Order: sequence, then C-alpha cells, then structure tokens
Amino acid sequence: MPLLEVRKLTKHFGGLSAITELDLDILNSEILGIIGPNGAGKSTLFNLICGFYAPTQGRVTFEGENITGLKAHRIARLGIGRAFQATTLFMKLSVFNNVFNGFHMNYKEGAWKSFLHTPGARREEKEARQKVLEILEFMGVAELKDQICHNLPHGHQKIVGVCIALATQPKLLLLDEPLTGMHSEETSKMLELIEKIRERGITIVLVEHNMDAVMRLCHRIVVLNHGRKIAEGLPKEVSGNPEVIEAYLGREEEG
Amino acid sequence: MNRMSVKKILVGLAGVCVVLGLLPQLTDSPYMMHLLVMSCINIMLGLSFSLLFSAGLVTIGAAGFWAIGAYTSALLVTRLDFSYWAALPLSGLAAAFVALVVGLVIVRTPGVAFIIQTMVINMILVQVFGHFEVFGSWAGILDIPSPNPIGPLVFTGKVGSCYLVIVLLLLNILAFYALYTSRVGRAWSAIRLNARLAETLGVDLFRYRLAAFMISSAGAGLAGSFYAHYFQSLEPGMFSVFKSIYVQIYSILGGLNFYIAGPVLGSLIMTFVPEFLRVSKEIEPIVTGAILVGLVIFLPGGILSLPERMRSFPVPFLRRKKETRFS
Repeated sequence: MPLLEVRKLTKHFGGLSAITELDLDILNSEILGIIGPNGAGKSTLFNLICGFYAPTQGRVTFEGENITGLKAHRIARLGIGRAFQATTLFMKLSVFNNVFNGFHMNYKEGAWKSFLHTPGARREEKEARQKVLEILEFMGVAELKDQICHNLPHGHQKIVGVCIALATQPKLLLLDEPLTGMHSEETSKMLELIEKIRERGITIVLVEHNMDAVMRLCHRIVVLNHGRKIAEGLPKEVSGNPEVIEAYLGREEEG
Repeated sequence: MNRMSVKKILVGLAGVCVVLGLLPQLTDSPYMMHLLVMSCINIMLGLSFSLLFSAGLVTIGAAGFWAIGAYTSALLVTRLDFSYWAALPLSGLAAAFVALVVGLVIVRTPGVAFIIQTMVINMILVQVFGHFEVFGSWAGILDIPSPNPIGPLVFTGKVGSCYLVIVLLLLNILAFYALYTSRVGRAWSAIRLNARLAETLGVDLFRYRLAAFMISSAGAGLAGSFYAHYFQSLEPGMFSVFKSIYVQIYSILGGLNFYIAGPVLGSLIMTFVPEFLRVSKEIEPIVTGAILVGLVIFLPGGILSLPERMRSFPVPFLRRKKETRFS
C-alpha cells in the first residue's frame, strides 16, 4: 500500500482549474520529485495535501486513512510535515526557538501540566530541548542555534525550515523548492541532507526547478502541466519523454 | 521554568513582600494610595491586552470584559448576598464565558475584523448595561460593599485596598508568566509570528486563539470585580470603548513585545504622569491621542525597546532622515 494516495483530485479556483483529476501514489521511503513549468499546479498540490486548501473533488488517503478536507493542524498531527520556501520561518526568533516551536504536537503531558510546570512537564521540555540540539547537529547547523533567523543567509534559512519540519517527527516530508536561490556548494550540501533524512525512514516529496539536482536525487519523478499529470517514472524515462520536453520548451511550430 | 528561574521568582516574591510591608510607611496620602490602586487595575487590564496580543490578536474591547467582571461581582454581592470572595472568581469566569460565546464566532476572523468586532461588543455591552433595569440602567449600581474581611484583615480603607489589589496583580502576573513559559505560550507566539507555519506544526489555531481570548477576558473580569468593590459604585459610562483604547496605549507605551513588563511600565506612566502634570480632564484625551500617534510613528516598540534601538541606531533621528530622504 502506498503511503499517500491521491485519487481524481481536482481543485478549481473560480473558473480556473489548478489541478484536474490527478492520480498520484507516494511510496514508503522514496524520494519523489514533482516538476513542471510555472503554474503547473505543484504548489496547489502541496497545499491540498497539507490541508491549506480543501479539494473541489477527489480524495487523499494517508496510511489508509481518508484525510480529504481535514484542517492543516489535523493533517500535521497524522505525520505530514512541510518545509516552506525560505520566507516562512519565525523570523524574529533564534534558530533554536524556531525548531523548539516545531515540537508542539510531540508533548504528551497536557497543557495544564505545562502551565503548572509539573516535574513531568519540565522533564519533557528538557528532553525536547535536547532533541532540538540533536536535530540541529544532524543538519549541521548547531553552531547557528542562537542566531536570529532574520539575520541568516538564505541557504541557512532553508535548512532551518527543514529542521522545523523534522521537529514535528513526520513520516512524510513535503519540501517546497528546497534548492531555490542556493549556490552550487549549498545545493550539494542540501542534497546530502535530504538523502540523510530519507535514510532515517522519512518519505520525501519535493517540488524543485533545479533539473540537475532532481534527476540526481529523486527515485521517481512526476511531471505536471496545466494541473494534469503528463508523465511519471524514473528520472531517465521522464527526461526523454517528448511530452515533457514539449511542456518545458514549447512545440516547434509555436516557436 | 528551570531551577534558576524558580530561584528568581522566590527572590522576586521576597522583594515584593518587603515592598508591601514598607508601603504604608512610604506614603500616608490617600491620594497617592488611590493612584497606586488605579495603576494596579490598569496594569491588570494592560496584561489582559498583552496576553491576547501574544497570540496575535488585538482587542479594543478590554473595557467590555472589565465591565462584565465588575457587574457580575456587584450584582452577586448586592442582589444575591454573595461573599466577595465567591463573587471574585465567578466574575472572572463570567467574563471568560462571554468571551467563549462571542469568541466562537469572532475568533475565526483574526486581524482587522476581530479588532472591529471586539470594539462593537464593547459598545453593545455598555448599551446592555445601560438599558436594562437589572443592571441598574444608566444610573448604575450604588452602595457596593467593600470586600468582606478575612479574620483580622479588612479591606475597607485605601491601605487595605492597596494590599488586596497588589496581591491580585501578583497572582495575575504569576499565572500569565507561567502561561508564557509553558507550551501554550510557545504555541501563541508561533501563531503570532507565523500562523501558517504554526498550523503545519500541528497548532490548532482556533482553539489556541479562543483560549487566549477567554483567559485574557478572565483577567480583565477579575480586575473589574476588584474595581467595583473599590469604587463602590458603577455606571455603564465608565466602561466605554474609550477606556479600551487607553488600555491599548498602556501596553503599546510600555512595549508590545514585553507581555508583562510592558503593561506594568505603561500603566504606571499613564496613571501617574497625567496626574502630576495636572492636565485638565477635558484636554487629557487630546494629549493621550498625541502620545499614541507619536508612539506609533517614532517608537512602535514602546519604551522598553529603547535600549535595543539605541544600540542599533546611535543617532536615531539623523539616521532616519538619511534613510527616508528620497522616498
């Protein structure tokens, strides 16, 4: 059984259909790349999966459970994490506190106990702080922990975004353009990190424009155009697909 | 809260006890005592505003929930012969309950819509209290007794009221501090800083916003209960939107990012300074309005943000001019 199943998913904005009858399977422990020209519906798809939009039609199933139309925080609780593009961080907080906030749903002690600062709640908080350091260590940004996110360079902000998502302990991690705006050194570091995350058993779906990186990293690739899936398969198969080339470069007669 | 901060709190409490003991020696002027009591009430209102702000919501309705607390307490004691000590928590609960009912609707639309709705609720409450006989109409409620004595402790005079309000204020501060350092406070700050991101971290925006609205209103309600029995009479005009705007200024003047120290500093300044300047009541709103406008333009972070600002802008005004000259 696939980890996440998307069936006949459709999303209209007024008269515009951003996603049309999309079928998609995400398999356990794979890295799936979603590519397509601008406006193909990649971001809409992410927003549908993580619950920011309710679909017009169709269904989304996660681990056999129907999650169509659930609110974002409910979907997050089921184990779907998301890293946004760089601008979505708690910019005014330190790196440490950014990741610490990510622990919100992993506390087992209730809010009341946390309010009363009972020994159990304090112990749990201490453990969470420890885990924050572990995550920062794992992602190689431990020395930045006291920096305010606002002051960080773009590449580091992206990594912090992924750290926050990791703090939620997801089973499925959605990465929205993790490589945009990075120079080649940062890019290869990020690719390494993504591979490391997958080795921990976390399934990864990423939307990305950097074709080189996608081809190198992803096990499978899905190509969207105008809200429809036009190709799916191994990187090699997809890159040779005439329809894909046409979607990116346009038909010859048009040029 | 780790051991360090527990120690800090104990030291703080000891310091407060010393101050409390010295207080009657400090001044014997009833006028100064009155100002101190009023500033404590204002601090509690400012704290309630700041708590809601910490969850990313802005209210211009604090005075409305203050009124609910005051009226609940006054009615329970004068009409139903409740003890003040039973009426006090009940008035906090009443304010929280009203916040729950209206919050179910208005918390769903944060932002400007929420601000306007809290303002309208405040107006409606004033009209309701003024319109109905049960609440004493526009004449209000008179002859509200002082809090019942507990053993040898009496709360009739200024000194007794002073002690009582300071204890209430400290409990309020302690409770809010515990909230801010708990995971609830962290979730609120996540919502305020980035609601979208908070949602993907599993924070239930609606529930946390509603909880903030209820707790903030309960704080204002408790302040109202004390106020009713201190002032011993109520009339709806005291609780107008105007007062809510003042409450907002207390928090903004002190510093919006300082959820406890901000309202404390702002309320003290806004209660004592106008009195010492002997500004007449007629022009006071003009001065206050000017302060608010000035704050928003020149010092949006409030007084407590000054040290940091000084560090980043050694010559603040020159620097500003340079930056904005061609814009």
